[in-house]
Parts: sequence; structure tokens; C-alpha cells
Amino acid sequence: MILTLNRMGRGRFVLYAIAGATSAFLLLPVVFIAFLSFGSSQWLQFPPPGWTLKWYEVLFADPRWLASMLVSLKVGLCVMALSIALGLPAAFAIVRGRFPGRAALHAFFISPMIVPVIILAIALYALILKLGLNGSFLAFVAAHLILALPFSVICIVNSLEGFDISVEKAAIICGATRLQAIRRVTLPAIRLGILSGALFSFLVSWDEVVLSIFMASPGTQTLPVKMWTTLRQDLTPVIAAVSTLLIVMTIAVMLVAAFLRRRIAR
Amino acid sequence: MPALVFLFLFLVLPLSSLFLVSVTEPSLGLGNYAKLLGDAAYGRVLFNTFFVAGVVTCVTLVIGYPVAWLLAILPARTAHLLMAAILLSMWTNLLARTYGWMVLLQRTGIINRTLIDLGLINEPLPLINNLFGVTIGMTYIMLPYVILPLHATLSGIDPAIMQAAAITGAKPRQIFWRILLPLSLPGIGAGCLMVFVMALGYYVTPALLGGTANMMLAEMIAQQVQSLLNWGLGSAAAFILLAVTLVFFAIYVRVVGLGKRS
Repeated sequence: MILTLNRMGRGRFVLYAIAGATSAFLLLPVVFIAFLSFGSSQWLQFPPPGWTLKWYEVLFADPRWLASMLVSLKVGLCVMALSIALGLPAAFAIVRGRFPGRAALHAFFISPMIVPVIILAIALYALILKLGLNGSFLAFVAAHLILALPFSVICIVNSLEGFDISVEKAAIICGATRLQAIRRVTLPAIRLGILSGALFSFLVSWDEVVLSIFMASPGTQTLPVKMWTTLRQDLTPVIAAVSTLLIVMTIAVMLVAAFLRRRIAR
Repeated sequence: MPALVFLFLFLVLPLSSLFLVSVTEPSLGLGNYAKLLGDAAYGRVLFNTFFVAGVVTCVTLVIGYPVAWLLAILPARTAHLLMAAILLSMWTNLLARTYGWMVLLQRTGIINRTLIDLGLINEPLPLINNLFGVTIGMTYIMLPYVILPLHATLSGIDPAIMQAAAITGAKPRQIFWRILLPLSLPGIGAGCLMVFVMALGYYVTPALLGGTANMMLAEMIAQQVQSLLNWGLGSAAAFILLAVTLVFFAIYVRVVGLGKRS
């Protein structure tokens, strides 16, 4: 323990106060939105004059909101699959490869994390305008995949580095072909890395705003783009309803992740 | 390797052609860069960007340090709760969080209403559509990115060092200033550089919480390209942002090292 709490004297109450205030600060907008989404005031009065579910009804009655959710879901699943399909061979090359420039290759795959998203956004915007692809499924998937790929590469590289290659060699000595050994021994052993890479890739795509704004057309939007364009016009409580659904989703994912971590720890 | 082909087509190629645009439109040469660095209006945008990023970095460090420290010394159960609050805010959809602040900070929002009801102010304060709103929103979003690396560093410090200092007569204040703080410098460096670099290029929060009068760099880039169709100037601004980001990233790599530890 660093400077144990009871040895700190009065200082510890200062620390408690700061932690309490910070938690309140961090939770404030999250809790606030959840409350407002059930409030009856169009102008987001707080405390609300009454309680209602009408914003959720408006949300689920509007085909444009539903369409944007569907686009987000489809793009997300596609990005997830492609991110693993491209990330897996890349991770194998980085960990197993014996060629010069391996470290540079690793850095290159992770480089999209460093470039500010707005720069990627306008560079891709120029490209898809030239190709006439704005608002297309391909544009969303390609853009999101750039940001998702580093996550799957990092996750798979980490678990592959922790896997003892002699187990795979043992399978080959016992008569398996190289491909069989990888498919039946190595891949199951690194499945958690693949799984978390897939999950991160989906979430990156599902939450992505900036690239999507530039890829979208008025006809085709992902959920964050729909939220963005609505937010720029007014602060309707329907956004509070969408946000609350997204917060519930976040909590669900966090619980699943905590559960998985506990299972791995055992 | 398919990943290599993909990144080449959708990352290297678009970025290189954007660079070409920045030195060829409207005319060949470094005119766009000279204009951006020489003109007072653009200078103001650069100033706003560095100013907000700097303030956000300082504020997140001052708030984040005690929280990271507490995370390291609290009993496990309480620490988990605090960590859950941090992760929940970090993982909640960015637009949802920004929307929350837009509602909280607006003229008729709860903060202004409470202050008026308490009689502290007569007129609503302008909390949004200016750099103040941007700073609040960005501080909120960046806080976890300084707390998490600091927490990693602080919990990695051997408590025996602190005990040794206490046994040999150091007061808590001395232990903090002469042992804990110097030993946590790598975490401070990592967190601050990460927040500063992220804040420099941030688009969503400044665009929604900021005003048109005081823009930041990312907003200006988007505006030049999307509304004004001024591709040359917009892409030159993008490469200035990229160059600054890479410089700070190089410092990050020197201070923290690449990979493994976060």
C-alpha cells in the first residue's frame, strides 16, 4: 500500500472528497440523460413535469432511426468479420515471420491509431467523392475497418505471443498437416484474443462518428450520423432515448466483459 | 498479405494524394502553408487549439492524479466501484455524453437554472457555444485517459520504498513530494501526452459544444473542405496537425516506449 489510508490523517478525507466529486462528474451526464429520456418535457426541463415513454415510441415509430440502426449493425458486423480476416494473417506474420522490417510492419498496422481521425476523414472523403461512393456500404466498411484493424492486430498479436509454438509443432510431428495444426490447435488456443479483437472491432465501428459523417449521404446514415445531424438541429428528447439505449448496451457489454475476465482468471 | 494491400489503398494512397492537393491547389508551392501560419485569423485557430488542449491536459492531471492514487490504495471493493464509474463514462457513446453536456450547459439548462434560483446570478451564463463549453466537455472525455496510465504506474510502485521512507522518519508530505511524485513521473508523462495529442485533433466535442467564433483546428479543416470546398487550405491545415501530432508522438515514444506498457 502506498501511504496507507489511515496513516494519511486528514489528507484522506480530501482524497475521498475528490474521488466522490470526480465520480459524480463522470456519472452526471450519463444519469441525467437516462432521467430526461423518461421526462415529458419537450424542452428537457429538470426535474421533468411528468414521466412518459413517448420519446421511445417516437424513436421506434420513425423508420429513419430504425434504418440507421440497421445500417450501423450491418456495417459493424461486416467490419468485425473483415477485421479478423485481415488481422489474423497480419498477426501471424508479425509474430512468426522471420523477415527484416517486421517491427516496421507492426508499427504500420497500428499507425491508424495515431493519425487524428479528422485527417483520415477528409483524405477518405476526397477518395470516395472521386469514386462516387458516398453513402455506400463499401465506404462505411472501408473507413471503419482502418480504425478497427489495429485493435484486432493488437489483440491477436498479444495472445499469439503468449502461445507456445512447440505445441503446434508437436501436433505436426504427430501427423497433422500445418494447416490442420493451426486450425485445430493454435486457433482454439488464441480464441480469446480473436474474440476480443472482434468485439473491439465491432464497437469501434458502432461508435464511429467522424469518418461516418464524411462517408454518409442524406439517404444512408449510421446511427451516430443520424444522432449527429439531429443534434445539429435541436436537442430533442428522442436523442436522450437513443442515448439511454446505448448506455444500457454499454453496461451490458461491461458486465459480459467482467464475467469473461472472472472466468479466465479461474 | 491482404491487410497490407487494404491499408495501402485506403490509408497510404488517400493521405499521399491529400498531401499533393495541399501543395498544388490552387497553385503549386507552399502557399497554403504560408497562408495558414502567416494569417492572423488562422493563427487564432491554432492558438485556440493549443490553448484548449493545454488547459484540458492540466485540469485532467490535477483531477486525475488523486483519483488514480485512490484507485491504488482503496480497498478492492470500493476501488472496483470507482473504476466502474470511470469505465462506464469512458465507454458510453461519445455523442450521448456530449448531448448530456449540451443539455446541462445550455442557457435554460439545469446549471444556469440552479445558479439563478440560488440568486448567485441574474442572467444565464454563456456556458456553451464557446471555449468554456469545449473545455468542460473535453476534460470530461479525456479524464479516463489520464487516470488509467497513472493508475498503472502508481500501483506498480513498490510500497516497501514508501515504508522505508516512513520508518526513517519522513512525513507523509515529504513522502509524496520526494518519492511518490518523482516515481510516478512516467505515468504523468504518458497520460498528459496522450490527452494533449488527442485533444489537438478532436472534432466532435468542439463542433457541438463550441461556437463559430472560436474554432479549433479540426473544425476548421472540416469547414474548409466541406462548406468552403477549399481543399488546398484544408489539407495543408490537416498536414500541420499531422506534423504536430507526430512530433508529440515521437516524444511519447521516447518517454514511455512503444507497446506493452500503457
